[in-house]
Order: sequence, then C-alpha cells, then structure tokens
Amino acid sequence: MHQTRKTHLILGVVVVAFAVFLMGVWIPLDTTTGVVETVRRQTVIGDSLAPMVAGVFLLIGGALVLLFERGSPDQPQVDMINLKFVGLVAATLAFGFLIMRYAGPLTVWATNMLSGGALEYRLLRDTAPWKYIGFFLGGVFAITGVISLTEGRLSARALGIGVAAILVMIALYDLPFDDLLLPPNGDV
Amino acid sequence: MTPLDYVWAGVLAVFQGPELFSLLGLPIPVTVVMILCGFLLGIAVGATPGLAGPIAMAISLPILISIFGFTPDALLPVMGFLIGIMKGATIGGAVPAILFNTPGTPDAYMTTLDGYPMTKKGQAKKALKVAHFASVTGDTFSDIVLILCAPFLAILVEAYLDLPEKTALLILSLSFIAAAVGGSPAKGLISTGLGLLAAYVGTGQDFYPRLSGGTDVLAQGFPLAAAILGVLIVGAVFHELALFWREKEGTRRAGPDEASSADQRLRVSDIRRLMPYISRSALVGTAIGALPGIGSTLAATLGYALGKRRHDRRKAEGDPGFGHGAPEGVAATEAANSSVSGANLIPVLSLGIPGNTAAVFLILAAESIGGFNPGPSVFNFTVDVVNPEAVIAFGLFTCMILANLMNWTIGGLFMRAMGVMTRVPKQILLPVVLILTLTAIYVQETNMAAVWFTLAFGLLGYGMRVLAISPLPFVIAFILGPKIEDSARQAFAATGGDAFFLLTSPVAALFMALSVLVITLSTRRKKGAT
Repeated sequence: MHQTRKTHLILGVVVVAFAVFLMGVWIPLDTTTGVVETVRRQTVIGDSLAPMVAGVFLLIGGALVLLFERGSPDQPQVDMINLKFVGLVAATLAFGFLIMRYAGPLTVWATNMLSGGALEYRLLRDTAPWKYIGFFLGGVFAITGVISLTEGRLSARALGIGVAAILVMIALYDLPFDDLLLPPNGDV
Repeated sequence: MTPLDYVWAGVLAVFQGPELFSLLGLPIPVTVVMILCGFLLGIAVGATPGLAGPIAMAISLPILISIFGFTPDALLPVMGFLIGIMKGATIGGAVPAILFNTPGTPDAYMTTLDGYPMTKKGQAKKALKVAHFASVTGDTFSDIVLILCAPFLAILVEAYLDLPEKTALLILSLSFIAAAVGGSPAKGLISTGLGLLAAYVGTGQDFYPRLSGGTDVLAQGFPLAAAILGVLIVGAVFHELALFWREKEGTRRAGPDEASSADQRLRVSDIRRLMPYISRSALVGTAIGALPGIGSTLAATLGYALGKRRHDRRKAEGDPGFGHGAPEGVAATEAANSSVSGANLIPVLSLGIPGNTAAVFLILAAESIGGFNPGPSVFNFTVDVVNPEAVIAFGLFTCMILANLMNWTIGGLFMRAMGVMTRVPKQILLPVVLILTLTAIYVQETNMAAVWFTLAFGLLGYGMRVLAISPLPFVIAFILGPKIEDSARQAFAATGGDAFFLLTSPVAALFMALSVLVITLSTRRKKGAT
C-alpha cells in the first residue's frame, strides 16, 4: 500500500513558521536599525533589510514546498535511528572536545594538589608535555568513540588507530610550526 | 603595462617566485612544487571513497597558511596547491568507480556504468587509461575556455555594469543557484535563505551586532571556515557515517576481477574513435560549468546521454553497447564531468561568484591570506601602476596549465597506482577526517567557539542532506551575502535613496526579472515533473 510521506509538509510548515518568527519577532527585537533609516537627512539602508531578504527567501521556499511539493512521491524518508546515531556521534565529538578543553588544566591542578606547587596551565600551554595532554586525551576519545559507535563494538584496534591518528596530527600541526597552537591552547 | 605584459608577469610570478631548492644549479620554484604536491594528493584523495578534494583542501589550508604566512607571496603557492588538488581529485574519482563499482562522488556514478563492466571483462587498465585521457582532454579544453573568457567577461562587467546592476547580478546569481542546484528550487531557496541569515548574524553597520541576542559569542558572527567546513565537510562526514552504519558495508573489498590476458593498451585508433565523444562531452561540460552552481553530475549525465545516442546509431556489430563496458561510455562521462572544473572558475574570477566547492576554497584561501579579491576588478589592466591582482590571476592560469601538463605526463601512471586507496575502510577514515577537520579549524581560528560552531553547522549540513536540501546554495549565499548587502547599500546611496534602484536601470531590471523568471520556470518544471 502506498503511504504518503509528510516530510515536505512538516518541512514547509517549520520553514514558514521560522520565517514568520524571523521577520516578525527576531529581526525587529534584535536589530537596532530598521529596513531604511534617515541619518543626517540622508536615507540609508538599515541593518534590518538584509536579514529580511533572508527571511523572504525562507518564506518563499517554505511556501513553495507547501504548495507544490507537499504531495510529491520523491519525499525523503527521515530515519529516526539514523538521527539518533548521528546525535550520538556528535555527542561523542562534543565530549571529546570537552576533555580536550579541561584535561590539561585538571592535570595541572592535580599536580599542584600532589606536589604543593603553583603551576598555571595558561603559562604552560606552549610547553611539552602539558600542551599535548588535552589534545591527546580528547582526540583519542573522540576518534576511538566514533569508530566504536560505527563498528558497534569497542576494540583495541579502534584505540590504536585513535592514538596513531592523534600522534600524526601532532606531528603535522604542532612539531613543524612554532606559531600554531593545538586545541585548546589558543584560548585557554 | 599592456594586458600581454600582465600575462607574462603572471607566468614569471610562478617560475621566478620564491625558490624552494636548487637542482643541478636550476632553481626549483616553490609554486611548481606545491602544484605537484597538491596534484598527487588530489589523485590519492579522489581515489579514496569517502574522501574528496574539498576535504583535502580543508585540512591542508591552515597548514599551508602557517607555512607561507599572510603575505601576497603566499597566494600562488597556496592556491596552486589547491588547484593541484582540484585537478588530481577529478581524475582520481574514476579509480574506485572503475575498479570497484563504487562511485566516490555522485558524478562518478555514470563512470561505473561502463567502467566496472570493462573491469569485469579484464580491461581495468584500459578503462583507467580511457578515463584518464578523456578527463585530461576535457579539463584542458575547459581551462582554455576559462583563460580566454574570464578576463573578457570581467572587462565587460566593469565597463557596463554600475552598482545597481552589480547588485542585481548578484541577486540573479543567487536565484539561479537556488533554482538550479539540487533539483528543487523551493529547497534551493530555503538553503539560500539559511546561508544569508547565517552571514548576517553579528554583522551590520550599527554599534549593536544584529541578531546576536546580546551575546558575546555571536557578536563577531560565524567564522567563514566554521560555516563552510561545517556544512560541506562535517555534514558530509556525518551523512557518510550514518549511511555506512546503516548499510554495514564494513567488510573488506575484494580486489578487482581482472584477467591479465585482455588488451590493456590505448591505441591511436581507440583515441580516434573516442574523440567525437570526448569533444561533445567537453563542450557540454564547459557550457554547464560556466553557469554558477550547476555541478558536474548534470554534465556527466548529459554527456553520457549524448554519447549513448551517437553510439547506438554508429556502433559496429559486436561492439559493447553503453552500460555493457563500452569505452565510449567511460570517455563521454569523464570528459563531461572533468570539463566542468575549469569552466566553474569563470564566474568566480570574472564576477566574484563561486560556482562550486573548489571555487569556495579558493575564495577562502584568498580571504584568509589577503591581497586578492576574486571579481571583475581583478582584470583591471592599469597602465601606469601594476595591478598585483591581475598578475596573481594570470599566475593562477599558469598554475592550471602546469597542473594540466602534470596530468598529461604523470597523472595516468599515478592514477593507476592508486587502486590501493580504495581499500581504506570508511569507518576508520571518516572519524580521523572529522577530527583533522575540526583541528584544522581550531588551528586557523584559535578559538574553541569556532569548533562548536563547526559541529553545529555540521549537524545543519547533515539535516539538509537528510531532507535532500543541497548545502551548496547555503555556502554560496554565506559568501555572497555580505557582498550583496555592501553593494546594495552603495547603490542605494549613489542613487540618492531611490527605493526602486534595482528597477530603474534597464539592465538591473532585466536581471531582476530574470531572477523571478528562473525561480518561476524551475518551480513549474518541478511541479510538472511530480
């Protein structure tokens, strides 16, 4: 039995609603000049016009989807299981980058607790081995995690590839250049 | 300086630029070496399913900028490397299609139709040779058209188009891209609208950064690299990973089914037979490539269809038909999709409008380094003072010719050796590419917010692919958005605040009418097709 998909109907409604919200609420409330402004008796284009044009593109696009493609037979199927998988991959990457951001400072803090020193990560961020701690741990976690998610199992091979890939990236981006900073050392 | 002096200065900028090393007393210019490196890397990534030229460009750009710095001297080596990747990836893409029936890119799908049957008949090497010959011929033809057309088009634009006309031309380009890319004008408009919106966040002329919600993180707007690489690369990797995970095709591929007894040579008689197919496809590909936003997939499809029609009429008794291992099928497809790449640079160099992802990366490199703004002003042949942008433009043309020469001489050999790349498992390659890309963005932006933005744009890019919305209009709108606004502000001010400034000049009014017409016609065509 042929089942009509509602992907385009939902897409059209969401895009039209977003365009109306953009032009009716977001742009007026979050832009300080209008579509056209008069400054010192000269009429100039204000900051609202360009985003309004973007809103018009969205509105027309959404309306055309609703009018002409709502019932088309070639509508894409949104697979919720795929969406969950990509959500997990993105969460793994995000967690990997959180490890990247905080592993170095946490290690320095733990070292200070154990040795009673007063090291500061900010001052060590261009000094080995401190500068590699966050990138190595976070990067290995992210690569190993995504490979494991894709393969459906955690393996020593995935860990080995994660370690090797991160070492190659350090060799590629950090060792030859004095002016490049690996994440997160540029803005800690 | 006369225009010919500029051409010669461009050639010299490549060959007499900074020297990398000396070989037997002969200075080897760094730009030539960079073109060669980019070309070889391009073939390797093109031959690797799951990788493509844009990914290699994204990863290498921050490294190249770190090596060469932010000086005008960096432009030709960096852009030469990117051009090398573009050329190499074009021929490399045929390798997995022919050997393993795995199209690395959508346009390579047509190559599988005859390439893989040739492999099954034991003619893998011959199929690769045909693909290489057709691809390089198409590409060279396309480059010649680019070199001849781009300067004249730019001069015409500068001579006849004023600010309102230029604004209208940019709007027409966006409308055309929205209507033509991806097969659905409605979705093209949505993609364009989202790209424009993203471009306008945190920008504007007022003290308050518009649409930033009062937050510091949005006040600077979205970094160009984060938006482009997020939607194009990270989104594509998410999509590939999800497809792979769903299909569970992680098993190692077997080697090509190749019998060594078959004739693998590409003879002069073969070339004579293939040339009519190659020349027709090269014309089709170049014409399609010159229009911004229309990709090589359409060119490959049209080239294949035209070739099939001719082959059905003229093929000899016993020759394989299209779809059954006809070398003419491989030649028609490869010549068409390769001849798109050179012509695709016509709108970016003459109008500043990027037509494909390679052009997007050339703009990204130019914006990152500075000193070169692709557009009509590039070909301003000033007599008294040297226009360095014109010298760079002709230097780029020289880079393309050099890359073609490399393609003719060593490209085929290297391409045939790249069959091994098709065995790299996707589930390992893609996560590494993902972290490499995010690291490249951080290294370039030195800001963790750029990584979060890239991830968010990656999810947006994935969502767009799931909903069959092409991300290319988004990227092009993101790049052109600020240009359109600046141009419109200047045109509005220059016409004394005329609200109808886009309609008062006949040329601008024509461009605006064409914008509406192109959307209307493509919507009606789409409606008629469903």
